[in-house]
Amino acid sequence: MATRAAADMHISVPPLSPERQVRWPKRTRTRLANGLEVVLAESHTVPKFHGELFLRSGNAAATHRAPGLAEMTATVVRTGTVKRASRQIEEDLRRLGADLSSHAGADNSAIGFAGLSELAEPLLQLVNELARDAAFPEPEFERERRQKLEEVKLDRTQPGFLAGERLRKVLFGAHPYAQVAPTEQQVAAYKREDLISIYRDFYTPENALLLMVGDFDSTAMLESVEKVFGAWHGDKPVIPPSPEPGKPRGRRVHLVHVPGAVQTQILAGCHAITRKHPDWIKLGLTNSLYGGAFNSRLVMNIREDKGYTYSPRSSVNPLRQYGYFSVSAAVRNDVVAASLTEIFYELDKIRALPVPEPELADARNYVSGVFSLGLATQDGLLSQLATVALNELPEDYLESYREKVRALTADDLIATARKYLDSANMQIVLVGDRTQIEPQAALFGDLEVYDAHGKRLG
Amino acid sequence: MRIPIETTTLSNGLKVVVAPDTTAPVVTVGVYYKIGFRLEPQGRSGFAHLFEHMMFQGSAHAPKMQHIKLINSSGGTLNGSTHYDVTNYFESVPSNALERVLWLEADRMRALKVDDENLRNQRDVVKEEVRVSVLNQPYGGFPWLDLPPVAFRNWANAHNFYGDFADLDAASLADVQSFFKTYYAPNNAVLLILGDVKPEEGLALAKKYFGDIPAGAPPPFADPREPEQTEERRGEVEEKFGTLPAMAIGYTVPPRRTGEWYAMTLLDQALHGGRAGRTYRHLVVEEQVAVEVDGGIDDVFGYNGPTQMVTKILHKPEYSSEATLAEFDSVIRDVQENGVSQDELDQLKIKFRSDYYSTLEGGRGGMPRYGLMHLLACFSLFDNEPQLVNSILDGFLAVKREHIQAVAKKYLRNDKRAIVFRRPVGAIAKEAA
Repeated sequence: MATRAAADMHISVPPLSPERQVRWPKRTRTRLANGLEVVLAESHTVPKFHGELFLRSGNAAATHRAPGLAEMTATVVRTGTVKRASRQIEEDLRRLGADLSSHAGADNSAIGFAGLSELAEPLLQLVNELARDAAFPEPEFERERRQKLEEVKLDRTQPGFLAGERLRKVLFGAHPYAQVAPTEQQVAAYKREDLISIYRDFYTPENALLLMVGDFDSTAMLESVEKVFGAWHGDKPVIPPSPEPGKPRGRRVHLVHVPGAVQTQILAGCHAITRKHPDWIKLGLTNSLYGGAFNSRLVMNIREDKGYTYSPRSSVNPLRQYGYFSVSAAVRNDVVAASLTEIFYELDKIRALPVPEPELADARNYVSGVFSLGLATQDGLLSQLATVALNELPEDYLESYREKVRALTADDLIATARKYLDSANMQIVLVGDRTQIEPQAALFGDLEVYDAHGKRLG
Repeated sequence: MRIPIETTTLSNGLKVVVAPDTTAPVVTVGVYYKIGFRLEPQGRSGFAHLFEHMMFQGSAHAPKMQHIKLINSSGGTLNGSTHYDVTNYFESVPSNALERVLWLEADRMRALKVDDENLRNQRDVVKEEVRVSVLNQPYGGFPWLDLPPVAFRNWANAHNFYGDFADLDAASLADVQSFFKTYYAPNNAVLLILGDVKPEEGLALAKKYFGDIPAGAPPPFADPREPEQTEERRGEVEEKFGTLPAMAIGYTVPPRRTGEWYAMTLLDQALHGGRAGRTYRHLVVEEQVAVEVDGGIDDVFGYNGPTQMVTKILHKPEYSSEATLAEFDSVIRDVQENGVSQDELDQLKIKFRSDYYSTLEGGRGGMPRYGLMHLLACFSLFDNEPQLVNSILDGFLAVKREHIQAVAKKYLRNDKRAIVFRRPVGAIAKEAA
C-alpha cells in the first residue's frame, strides 16, 4: 500500500490548500496643513524603510517649455542645495546608509529614497532640503547637461528605446505624451533658469505626495514628517491644457531603420484606457490572458511553440490622461511577417471567441495571486500604495482587487477585447535593418520608414 | 537582525533550508544545483544556460507547458537563471500552492522528459535571447562576456558563457540527458522554502516530495584555478551600435571569506558604490572625462571560483583611452598611497550593512525574498553553512583602514589586471586613418 500511495503521489498534481488571509499592513493617510499628502504603511521585515516624494507634474507638464525638462530638473536637484554641495550630499547619503534617486516620468517627478530606520529623520531632512532648497549650481548644471547630451545619443542606439519612442509619436501626435526624450538640439538649448522655473512650479507641498513604507512606528514617523516638512509652502502649478492626441485609423507600419541590426524589435499598439477607468481591471485580465503572463497565448505561441523570440509580452500602459495597449517581441529577421501574423491571429481570436472557462479560471488565479506577491516587500507595497494614491483610486482598491478579478466572466473578457484590443487600428513599429525586413513589413499596412533620429526616409 | 532558519539534509543528500516569514501569505521556493556555466563541458559553450531552458520543457509527470501553466494558474510566477557556479529554479506563489510547487520541482529533479523538438525550439529561443541581450544591443555583453577571455587562461573561466552558436547547434539530446544525470542529482542541490510556512511543515514536505529521489554519483568538477598572472592583459572588442568608447578594468579578487576578501569588498564600495564612489567622483564629476562609471564585484556572495572586481567606463570621445585610463589609475594610486579615512570607512560600513538588509528583504522580478534565497543557497552549496547569512556581516564590519590599504596595494596592481576596450566601429576607422 505504501508503495502504491507513494507512486500515486508522484503522478498526480497536489490540489491547492485553502487560501490564507492577507493581513493588510497598518496604514495612515493624512494631509498636512501646507497641503502635503502623506501615506504611511508599516512593514517590519528589515530595519529599513522605503519612501518616495512624488510631485504630480512631470515631463508632459513641461513639454510646452522643452521636452524632458522635468527629468533634467530632477537630475540637477540632487547636485546641490543652499546648505550642501554635491559631494556632501552623496557622502551624507552614504553616512545614512541610504539610496536616493531623483527622476521624472511623463506625469510625475519624484525623489525616491531608502535607508536605515535608525537614521530616518536625517534622511527626511535631506529629502526636504532637495525638495525645497535645491541650488542648481551652475557648474553642476553644465556638467549634467553635457552628460545628458551623450545619454540622448546613446538612447538612439537602443532598439527598445527607438520602438517605444516611435509608437508614442504615432499614438499621441501633438499631445506631450508623444515626446519621450529630448533631441540633442533641445538638450543643448536647456538653460539653468528653465530648470529653476520648473522647480519653483512643480516642487510644492500642494503638488506633492509623500509615501513611506517600512519598519517604523506610524505615529512617531508622522511627527517626524510634520517637523521636517511642515514649514514647506507653495501652491499647485497651473498647467496649460494639452492638445488632443491623434486617433490613428487603420493598420500602418512604421519602420525605424537601424543598419546592421541582426534582429527586429516589434512593438505594436493602440489607444486604451487609464487606471481610473471602470474597465481597467477587466483589461488587465484580458491582457494577462493574451500576452501578459508566461502562460499566455502569445508566449505559448511565438516562443514555446515556434521559437521566434525570447521575450514576447503584451502590456497595458496607463498614463494619467490616456492609456495604451501594446505588444512587443524581438524576433529574428526572417520571421517578422510570421510573428506579426501570429500576434494578429491571437488578437483576432480573443476578440472573436469566448475564452474557455478553465483558461479563464487560470488567468483569474494568476492575476489575483501575483497581486499578493507585491505585498511581501517594502518596495512592492510602496509601489501598490503609489498606484492607489497617484490615481486617486478608492480607499478599498487594494482590499477589493482580488474579489473584483474573481468576479469577471468570459462575457466581460470578450467585450473588453473587442473594445480595447483594437486589431484593425494597431500601429506597428518595427526597429530593424530595412534591407532585411522591408518586404515583410509592407505586407501589414502602409509603410513609413524613419532613421534613428526620426527623419523620414520613405 | 536575525533570520530564523531551519535546515536538514535528506538521506539522498539533498540539503533543505526553511526560512519562515509571515509578512504576506506567499512562499518562494528555490532549487539550486551546484553547476553553472563555468564548468560546463568544453566544446559546449553556453550549454549550462541552454540546459536551464530545457528544465522548463517537461518532466516525468508534467509535460511541456504544464509546469508553467500550473505555477501561473496557482497565482504564482517562476523563472530560472544560470550563474557562474550555480543554476537556480524558483517560484513565488500564494502559500496555499506550496505542495504543488514542491511536487513540480521534485518531478523535474527525478526525471527530465524532453525530445528533439523541445531542444530545437529552445535553441531558437536562446539564440533570440543572445541577440536581444548581446548581439543587437549597444554594449551588449560588455563587459561580462568581453573581459573573461582577456583576463583568464583556464577555459572554465575564459569561454563564452552565453555560447557560440556553433556550440549551441552541436548540443544534442544525449548531452542534455547526460548533463542532467551528472549534475542534477539531489546530492548536488539545495531546496529552499521561504515565507509563509512553518519550519516543521516545510521540512516534512521536503521529505515527502524529494525524499525518495535516488542520489547520484558525486559529480566530477574540473579545476577552475588560474595560473599565476604576471603581466597586464589587454584586449579589444568592436562596438557596433554605441557612440561612446568604453573600457573595463578587472582585478582578480582574493579567495572568498578570507580577511583580504572582506577588505576587498569594502574597497570595492569605496571605489564604486554609486555617486559617492571614488571612480565616479573623479572621472565623471571632477575631471569630467567619463559619462558613466560603475562596477564592482558582481554577486559577491554568489560565486565559487576566480572572479574579478570590474570597473566599467564609458568616456567622452574627445578623450583617448590612454588619457581616460590615466585618470582611473590616479584613483587607484591614491587609495594605495593614502588608504581611506576613518570617516570614509565608517560610511562604507553603514552603507554595506544597509545594503545587506536590502538583499535579505528584497525581491527580483516580483519574487519576494529572492536575495535571501540566493544567499542561503550559495552558503549551503559552497560552504555547507547556511547560518552564515546571520554572521557574515560581522566580517565586513571588522575591517580596518590598514586592511583596505593593504589589499589595494597587493591586488590592484597593473600586472594583476586585465583591460578590455570596446571601441565604436566609427572610432576604430578614425584612429586607423
